[in-house]
Amino acid sequence: MASHDTTTPPHATIEKPLKSSQLPQQYKGSWGPALDVALRMFLFATAIVAVIIMAASKQTKLISLFPGFAIPLEAKFTQSPAFIYAIAALSVACLYSIITGVLSVFALMKPGGSWTKLQFHFVILDALLLGIVAAATGGAGGVAYIGLKGNSHTNWNKVCDKFGSFCSHLAGSIVLSLVSSITLLLLVWLSVYVLSKKLARG
Amino acid sequence: MDMQYKEGINGEVGIRSAGKGKVKRSDLFVRFLALVLTLAAAVVLGANNQSTTVSVKIVPSLPPVNLPVTAKWLYMSAFVYLVIANAIACFYATMSLVVTLAARGGKKNVTLIVTILDIVMVALLFSAMGAAGAVGLIGLKGNSHLQWGKVCNVFDKFCHQTAAAMILSFNGSICYLLLVVLATINVYKKF
Repeated sequence: MASHDTTTPPHATIEKPLKSSQLPQQYKGSWGPALDVALRMFLFATAIVAVIIMAASKQTKLISLFPGFAIPLEAKFTQSPAFIYAIAALSVACLYSIITGVLSVFALMKPGGSWTKLQFHFVILDALLLGIVAAATGGAGGVAYIGLKGNSHTNWNKVCDKFGSFCSHLAGSIVLSLVSSITLLLLVWLSVYVLSKKLARG
Repeated sequence: MDMQYKEGINGEVGIRSAGKGKVKRSDLFVRFLALVLTLAAAVVLGANNQSTTVSVKIVPSLPPVNLPVTAKWLYMSAFVYLVIANAIACFYATMSLVVTLAARGGKKNVTLIVTILDIVMVALLFSAMGAAGAVGLIGLKGNSHLQWGKVCNVFDKFCHQTAAAMILSFNGSICYLLLVVLATINVYKKF
């Protein structure tokens, strides 16, 4: 019956009870799962703050054409498609971080090595979302840079000297979305490292 | 018995199966494709300039004056970023191709470092794509709220060449994403 296994005891052919007592100890000393959940919560925090700051960036200024007549000029994020895409991408990142954070915690509590199997899917999904959030950062950053410095060759005037508060909101939001993409990068690195260590251990 | 069960510890020493060779070959092929695509994108955008004349009516009574105007990729910082990002990605693809070919069947740490840098390249190329895409969209459609006029009605060849470079760069970034997926599948097969 156990002729090919000379080292394991005969009652260990029923694997479940042995595994469930091994796995919480397997995860107890390691910092991988805790760092994974912490990074996902951090991603949620930065993404949602970036969305809120950009959504609340509206600024209205009264431009007086001639004395006694003033028209209000508005600057809001819906005026450029790059900013709309940035808010959409960061909202997706926010939702994604909640879903994967919950999945990760559930996989940790369940015995049976399912957290490591989940890291395979996390690598691919995190890399895809990294691309999306990086594109949002790049797009919003590019348009905001033109708004800040202007472009003399194409006659695009700078906007930030008139709408200072709008521009500082945008700058904060772009910095936070850069932090989100770095967090996603760290998450992918963590998953790759955990998988390679598991492979090396056998 | 050790060589049969504990593949991961011995690495590729005893086992060169057909399945493993196939994954490795597709990895090299995709890496070479990424090299070609990013090189093409950098070259197409780097050689992009157009000179044309715009007829402007300064005074209504006089006939219109033809002003020469030029569009170069250097004039827009987002396009400079795209060229630099594609140049970095091309250089990295060359280096990693050389390193992967040299370390075939050798250490495990090389593939780990190469995968880690692949992910960085994905982020870099996608962000450059986003920046050039946003700026190109403004050039194409204009932005009436911000008083930025469209540019592509005058410089149509410039805009078409920029769009072609962006498509090439996007395909290059998809190749890098595929490399990450292939590395994951490669590890999954060993489990």
